[in-house]
Amino acid sequence: MSAAATAGLRGRQRALGSPSPAFRALQYGFLALALVFALGPIGWGLSTSFKTPAEINALPPTWIPHDVTIANYVESVLSERFLRHVFNTVLVVLACLALALGLSAHAAYAAARFAFRGKGLILMLMWATIMIPGVAVIVPLYLVAIWTSLYDTLWALVLVYSAWLVPTLVWLLRGFVAAIPAELEEAARIDGCSRLTAFYRITLPLLRPGLLAGSVLVFTLVWNEFLIAYSLVLSNESRLVQVGIYFFITEVGIKWGPLTAAAMGAVVPVLAAYAFLQRAFIQGLSAGAVKG
Amino acid sequence: MTPRIESGEIVYSIMVAATAFRDGLATIAPWRLGAGERMAPYMFLLPAFALVSAVSFLPLGFAVVQSFFRSDYLELGRFIGISNYGDYLYGRGGPGFVWNSLVYCGATVAIALPLGFLLALVLNENLPLRGTLRTLLILPWLVSNLIGALLWWWLGNPQYSPVIHALRQVGLSAPDMVTNKHAAMTAVVLCNAWASYPLVMVFVLAALQTVPKELLESAQIDGASGLQRFRHVTFPIVSNTTMVALVLTTLHAFKNVEIILLMTGGGPVGATETMAIRVFQEGFQFFRMGVASSGAVVVFLVNVLFTLAFIRVLRGESST
Repeated sequence: MSAAATAGLRGRQRALGSPSPAFRALQYGFLALALVFALGPIGWGLSTSFKTPAEINALPPTWIPHDVTIANYVESVLSERFLRHVFNTVLVVLACLALALGLSAHAAYAAARFAFRGKGLILMLMWATIMIPGVAVIVPLYLVAIWTSLYDTLWALVLVYSAWLVPTLVWLLRGFVAAIPAELEEAARIDGCSRLTAFYRITLPLLRPGLLAGSVLVFTLVWNEFLIAYSLVLSNESRLVQVGIYFFITEVGIKWGPLTAAAMGAVVPVLAAYAFLQRAFIQGLSAGAVKG
Repeated sequence: MTPRIESGEIVYSIMVAATAFRDGLATIAPWRLGAGERMAPYMFLLPAFALVSAVSFLPLGFAVVQSFFRSDYLELGRFIGISNYGDYLYGRGGPGFVWNSLVYCGATVAIALPLGFLLALVLNENLPLRGTLRTLLILPWLVSNLIGALLWWWLGNPQYSPVIHALRQVGLSAPDMVTNKHAAMTAVVLCNAWASYPLVMVFVLAALQTVPKELLESAQIDGASGLQRFRHVTFPIVSNTTMVALVLTTLHAFKNVEIILLMTGGGPVGATETMAIRVFQEGFQFFRMGVASSGAVVVFLVNVLFTLAFIRVLRGESST
């Protein structure tokens, strides 16, 4: 490749001494190996998901399917079972968006705008909960969920996920609130708004880039979470996507075609969310959170 | 300044609904909301704190209590001191699983940290297709642990795996992770390192942006070689962030359940049973809730100790 030549053309690169061709080759070799490691499992799963059962069990294994089929996707991703789990997950995401983002926006406002007694302690305690590993609380949460009759309902999941998200979201949103000039709210309050009304009318709309970024966090946590969704929900009707895939193995049996298809189907929304987050961030930054 | 409403933005319409609700509340029950400037910050902060406490602190406290009592599934029995802890640490095959946790965390970090760090260094240079390469190399981070485990499990399948087939072609025999202890540990470590290195990469890449170009250039003018520039200019600036990435990777490995649960279930003969997976199994496979709770407390304490030690190291470094 003309990589060394391209690099040599760049002024700054030259100013810092352009690396020798051997060093460049070493870098590309390393990158190639890393790419194989990173994409190997995904590529193999993707390949399997488009194969016929005969080709999945064929020896030697093939990386590119001979007869491309979407039967695996029809059987898994389009099955009533999988769609049901997707629907459940979306419900939980929506409820968590309302609860976690709502609570966090208020808390972040308090953290960014006020000085008050106990602020440091409360925030520190809240942020300390990030360090509590999920596996350390699943057993008591399971028992509490049974005693409160929340076991096997989506509400249990909404409450736990929201509580796990709030500390991170407060951290994230606090920065966004701090970036909004307090004078805007003060002007609104001089015009007769209460503090709360000023928050809803002035601050919250300007907080939209932060809320968008936060909603991607909410989505990826809920979509990818397994431990709580497994521990607090029993029946097939209330399962979320990841747990559904886990039980696909034990209940339907290991059928690698549909299984890899379901896995691929479950990865795509997260990729979309990530792409969206990147765009939202760039737009949010370039548009400027505050136009004045 | 009016709020702009665009259709289809769920988050925003939820916020608008909340606004209407709270505005309504303000007219019906003004004393609740206008409780004086002094109370205002608490009104904003406490609902969030209440939820976090209820879901994080209360269960943790309950786990501590339960760990000292005999439990018969849902019922709390009599006080039995620390015998649950004994059961957790010495029951079923002895404390070898503590060693497994160490190996699992250590090996994961030993792969993920250098890999992520070197990738960040390479991707920080002006390469063609740099953006695409970054995106592709971040992919394993976005895949959930469960699905990552599923994909690695399938890739390590002894019968149909292309990797094992290729190894056989060149005359190497690859041990089966279902029956071979070392193969099982290698498989789960590889999967976890695969899922973990992008975090290191992203963190270090972000830190590398803060290295001033002028500093590197002046170091070069002073005759520093590439390696010297890295050692004396770049590395001191990114070392703190690397430390944070190291801790996050270790903690993730320490508390991770999904990968081992799906790939090996802790087997063969407990070879991949870690401290976290044993908590999960005691709780949800053997339903010995007291033992599971004592394990949960141990896992939590190790987590806290590790975090505190790390904060001390960070403080110590920044003061020098």
